Amino acid sequence: MSAFRLQQLKGHILSENKITTMSGSPSPLTTHVLNTAMGVPGSNVSLKLYRQDLSTSVWQLITTGVTNNDGRCPGLITPQLFTSGVYKMHFETAQYWASMGETSFYPYVEIVFTINDPGQKYHIPLLLSRFSYSTYRGS
Amino acid sequence: MAAAESSPLTTHVLNTSDGVPGTKMALSLHRLDTKLMIWTMLSVGTTNEDGRCPGLISREAFTPGMYKLRFETGSYWESLGQPSFYPYVEVVFSISDPGKKFHLPLLMSRFSYSTYRGS
Repeated sequence: MSAFRLQQLKGHILSENKITTMSGSPSPLTTHVLNTAMGVPGSNVSLKLYRQDLSTSVWQLITTGVTNNDGRCPGLITPQLFTSGVYKMHFETAQYWASMGETSFYPYVEIVFTINDPGQKYHIPLLLSRFSYSTYRGS
Repeated sequence: MAAAESSPLTTHVLNTSDGVPGTKMALSLHRLDTKLMIWTMLSVGTTNEDGRCPGLISREAFTPGMYKLRFETGSYWESLGQPSFYPYVEVVFSISDPGKKFHLPLLMSRFSYSTYRGS
């Protein structure tokens, strides 16, 4: 079976954090989606956080969520789960633009980053338009 | 790598930290096979002195679909003796009108990057 299909099946089996309420201690990893074309937060953007398994290199789904009215998604991960490693944020950007009746150049945006010091705070914003995006490591 | 006629898809890597082109960066172009749902690698290359990589794809091979440009940014910064936040950058994009020209620059520093659809 293809790696993609295997990934889909794993996603169903492994328990993941589905963000529905504000979590207790704040997540050491945060994001912020901004719609730079319209000068508004990117709200209702579906997203997923993955960590890469060190031995198999397979992406493990940690959290699924949706950005709120301010384009943010609290409770991405707990300090306990936030270990060193390679992570990936996946944003359903085309879906976001389609919900506003617009097409877009990117079917989705994935940002892969390395966490060497999980004691720090990491802010991964996504500044987005239909034909461009940018990201940076914030705090 | 496609030769003579210029590629309808081009890229340009810029090191915004140092204000120079991103030279000698390895990159690869992939297309999504929608039947098998896997990425097929179409070409591999390295950026030149100007941060560009001519001959990414031929006009004939450039069919509508979902493509991915993968930039080995982590290796690039490592070769300069500096760690960076991103092990690599992948930009996934949809081509519905392959008759046009598409320019996909990557402006990057160790802790940020941006891309846009140019011409």
